[in-house]
Amino acid sequence: MTTATDVARIEAPPAPRVVSKTRERSQAKPAAAFANPYLAGIGLGLVLLAAFVVMGRGLGASGAFSAFVAWTVDGVAPAHAEGNGFYQSYLAYGNPLKGWLVFEVLGMVVGGLVSGLLAGRVRPVVEKGPRIGTGSRLGLAFLGGLFMAAGAKLARGCTSGQALTGGALLNAGSWAFMLAVFAGAYGVAWFVRRQWR
Amino acid sequence: MSRFIPKTLKGKLALTAVALGFLALFGNPYRGETVTVATQDLAWNLQQADRLSAPELADRLISGRTDHRILDLRSAEAYAEYHVPGAESAPVSELADYPLYRNETVVLYGDDAVGTAQAWLLLQARGFHGAVLLDGGLGAWKQQVLFPALPEGSAPNAVARAKAVAEHFGGQARVGGAAVGDAPMEMPKVEAPAAVAPTARKPKRKEGC
Amino acid sequence: MSAPLFKFGLFGDEASLLVAFAIGIGFGFALERAGFGSAKKLTGQFYLTDMTVFKVMFTAIVTAGLGAFYLGWLGVLDLSLVYMTPTYLAPQIVGGLLLGIGFVVGGYCPGTSVVAMATGRIDGLVVVLGLFAGMFVFGEIFPAIEGFYHSTAFGAQSLPGVLHLPYGVVLFAVVLMAIGGFAGAEWVERWSARRTAEEAS
Repeated sequence: MTTATDVARIEAPPAPRVVSKTRERSQAKPAAAFANPYLAGIGLGLVLLAAFVVMGRGLGASGAFSAFVAWTVDGVAPAHAEGNGFYQSYLAYGNPLKGWLVFEVLGMVVGGLVSGLLAGRVRPVVEKGPRIGTGSRLGLAFLGGLFMAAGAKLARGCTSGQALTGGALLNAGSWAFMLAVFAGAYGVAWFVRRQWR
Repeated sequence: MSRFIPKTLKGKLALTAVALGFLALFGNPYRGETVTVATQDLAWNLQQADRLSAPELADRLISGRTDHRILDLRSAEAYAEYHVPGAESAPVSELADYPLYRNETVVLYGDDAVGTAQAWLLLQARGFHGAVLLDGGLGAWKQQVLFPALPEGSAPNAVARAKAVAEHFGGQARVGGAAVGDAPMEMPKVEAPAAVAPTARKPKRKEGC
Repeated sequence: MSAPLFKFGLFGDEASLLVAFAIGIGFGFALERAGFGSAKKLTGQFYLTDMTVFKVMFTAIVTAGLGAFYLGWLGVLDLSLVYMTPTYLAPQIVGGLLLGIGFVVGGYCPGTSVVAMATGRIDGLVVVLGLFAGMFVFGEIFPAIEGFYHSTAFGAQSLPGVLHLPYGVVLFAVVLMAIGGFAGAEWVERWSARRTAEEAS
């Protein structure tokens, strides 16, 4: 039985698609929805398990950055690097760029890119909320990187190495680290909420 | 019963996780660390205790084989004075954590047969089933390889061979005369230890993040 | 018992770098799949709007934790050979706080910043640059903080060891906590969505 709304729908012509060419192109491949977080988590867990079984170690990220920095400092000022225990911890075993984490992080670039391409999520953009400018956002991004570098080195790892790996292996220090990360983040979140909302 | 099987994917995953977690209450993942020594196996292994004779080791080294590691269990000073070419200094105190691969052949030698055997047992218990004893220890190396005293009337080619082997390692063979025994012999000069271990086996890169 | 394969000598250091690359591809792929190439999604966790970080992280922990446990129990994996980072309690707690602050300020953690950079996020790239700069600064001031860096060292400590409980018990507790956490997270997300809808109306 046709109702009034049905009649209205049939009679009104569909609105003409007045869309510019450029918008059509960028909308041509809509970004795919994110994977179910639990399934993504299982996938991530299996990658971590593979690292355990094949290498006898877990994942990591921050170590690759410090290896690169140590390599650069050694290239620019080797004498200075020699006297510094932090740089030496990377340089004492040969070329730091031939480290496991460096290659792993390079793989992450590839893997992230592939997944992004498959999902149509690769585009040059600055992620931010509506109430903050790009410059401020990038400034805060850099600052965040500084803090995380200090935190990751003090803790001997970041969320990948300590929280994920140490979490799965029930490492006591890693669990303490994980709690501190959430505490720090939640504690400061309110103060930078303008970045995101 | 089917009421309790969750319908959603999330529910099914959650149930699987809880079931596996519950089952874990009854297990122990550390099969390797706490060593359960099966006494029957151990008794069998002791009889079979993998041994390598000194001449066999000499042959290995002369033919240039590198698929083994040689650990000198004596003190660092003794090692510096003389060690079998290619040996690494591995005092027994460091043996518990010494970096080794599981399937490597590891030749152990020291001065004291009992101590070497204990070290062998330690490595076997840690799961390094490639550990072997140098039969007779350093003493046998001295007597059979470095300074062999061949009995009178030995076949000429045996004598020649023994001489060649001994000279390869800086020693000296002779025919007749008493066996070397414990007499202090002047040991061949050994290369500075720096030439052997540190570059041959770089310290393990740390595995942290 | 034949795993970890590398520690049983199945392949050498050079090949392990290829393994690292392959594992990295899987890691980066999984992170991007979960949406962790986006700062807005990641930081949603800390505003209680999007609890994906918690869900993914703890699902991964439970999966790998149970997997490692069972492979160890079955004797396939020698769990004692899997590297456990030693515990340095004070630096790890201070480091964790700093990392958490940096995470919510920068929008990414070190691993996800790499993935974000790979998918074009300029802010991800800037976080990476900040990480490099920060590591350099850390290296330079390291002699001054070396004492703190090495303090409160307890060696490799496991939760079962510290709590004097069997491994399986702690693992089961973690699983239950995670499942409970997921239920809670979903509730929080729904509450947050309701609140945003109410504020909008």
